[in-house]
Amino acid sequence: MIKETMTPEQRVMAALRLERYDRVPVIPIIGQFATRQYKLSRKIKDLDTWQSIEAIRENFDSLGGYDGKIVAGLAWPISTWRTNAPKGKRVLPGEKGISEEFSVQYDEQTTMTVEDYDKIINKGWNAFCEEYFPRVTGLSLEEIERRNKELLDIYLKDAVYWKQRNIPIIAGALVVSCEMTLSLARTFPQFTMDLHRMPDKVQAALEAMVPDFIDNVLRDTKASGVPWVHISLERGSGAYYNLKTYERFFFPQLKKIVDAMVDNGIYCWLHMDTDWTLNLPYLRHLPAKKCICNTDSITDIFKAGEVLKGHMCVMGDVPPSLTKLGTKDEVVQYCEKLIDVLGKEGFILCSGCEVPIDARFENVRAMMDTARNYYPHR
Amino acid sequence: MSELSSALANLEEEKVARIIKQELGTGKDSMGVLTELRKGMDEVGQRYKKGEYFLSELIVSGEIFKDAMKVLEPTLKKDGGGPATKVVIGTVKGDIHNIGKDIVATLLKGVGFEVYDLGIDVPVKAFVDKVVETKATIVGMSGLLTPSFESMKETVDALKEAGLRNKVKVIIGGGVVTELVQRHTGADAFTDDAMEGVEIIKKWSAKSN
Repeated sequence: MIKETMTPEQRVMAALRLERYDRVPVIPIIGQFATRQYKLSRKIKDLDTWQSIEAIRENFDSLGGYDGKIVAGLAWPISTWRTNAPKGKRVLPGEKGISEEFSVQYDEQTTMTVEDYDKIINKGWNAFCEEYFPRVTGLSLEEIERRNKELLDIYLKDAVYWKQRNIPIIAGALVVSCEMTLSLARTFPQFTMDLHRMPDKVQAALEAMVPDFIDNVLRDTKASGVPWVHISLERGSGAYYNLKTYERFFFPQLKKIVDAMVDNGIYCWLHMDTDWTLNLPYLRHLPAKKCICNTDSITDIFKAGEVLKGHMCVMGDVPPSLTKLGTKDEVVQYCEKLIDVLGKEGFILCSGCEVPIDARFENVRAMMDTARNYYPHR
Repeated sequence: MSELSSALANLEEEKVARIIKQELGTGKDSMGVLTELRKGMDEVGQRYKKGEYFLSELIVSGEIFKDAMKVLEPTLKKDGGGPATKVVIGTVKGDIHNIGKDIVATLLKGVGFEVYDLGIDVPVKAFVDKVVETKATIVGMSGLLTPSFESMKETVDALKEAGLRNKVKVIIGGGVVTELVQRHTGADAFTDDAMEGVEIIKKWSAKSN
């Protein structure tokens, strides 16, 4: 085991600032895997949030610990509802005949009409949400606020526990990118057709969303006391859209949000699902040493390391198929390769998106152990 | 390329609708119109391969094609048409993600395959039954979550048990599907790219015809 000379927080901040660390930090995205390890059914999880939080804490110890918690509480409860569009109907394991073996899924349905673009443009995002969320969820604004407050209380209580253990939390707020919010609300095919049929209107709506998104995230990070925002990106990548579209519609909004965050002392964790390889050069236009580029095993992470060298920390990307189907040796081999190529500085070892619910425990443990035991750059 | 093929390849939605109306109005047979549309879809595929088009252009071309088919379909049956390779496709048991599967199904129809889309959360038996019923020679299974790997494997095993495995080629697809998953499930091919999936199926079809 490598002799550690830094606290987890110092290690993570060194990675963010591209400074030398004592070893590569490791932060897995763990939620459902932990509760599965403790055989908590989805029903119990819903009835007793604290049992799940306890499972995550025990899982943390059984994995030998790691250097950062993605969030306090469960999953993403701290995000105010306005920064996360309802994405169709949530289908839980055990519901609609879906096996308990599966994780939570979303039956993506159109929840926003073409006319709603005008409402966003004319009223702004937050004012639109006051009509939109009750319409889609069937809940009153008061009830939505009450639930959000309940989740924030859980977050704050759990955050105290992790603070006592000196484990930093790297999401004090969550925002889903403007384009992904609309894509989830309209569905991906429909949003794509909207871009084709009414590009000016979609662009105006995207631009109108930004000021409220910034205000919402600043309020959330203040409430959580954690100066980090998780920005969920997926639907705008080069896997979906050409760079001309990215430059005109998506990147300007991301840049405005990130710049505003950095101006307010907030660090940005860019969670980039799907293939962003083509878009990587744009990230060099975001503030240096204030953001993390977190890829999910589909983007070429080694290319990300090359393109962002000296500018941005890279985080990733042990593939879910490897932690589920691979051997322990294969996991170690892949983690060592990541550390060899990317790990000298500015790298955080992470699962490729979330650790799969059905990953092999020994493989996840091997990922943590490799970070603790392997650092050839000292 | 004809004007109609070009209009589809260039994603000119209104122009495609207008030309189809004109051509059918002047007595052109619907099979001939469909052939032009398929040439347009082929060109979309070529542009995707060259990196000029992205997934979004596949979606737009697919939507234009689907709308065109709504106009053509009522008359197509009368015109008949040659035998097409049959593909059974679906998102496997337990998984309800449909976007990738829907795109592949539309693209396959666009280039002339006879597609039996079983939808999402498709039981193992439904895949087997549909292959028996249609005598399809290709099965496409989609899934986005790791537990769906087991559903894919169970489906391949069931095809074996039914004595169909050597009569069908199986391709699996999804964002997290890798070679490791292909080996685990016993499929013949894997892809995380809709158009690549269509190309693999086209090659299989060309070999068997």
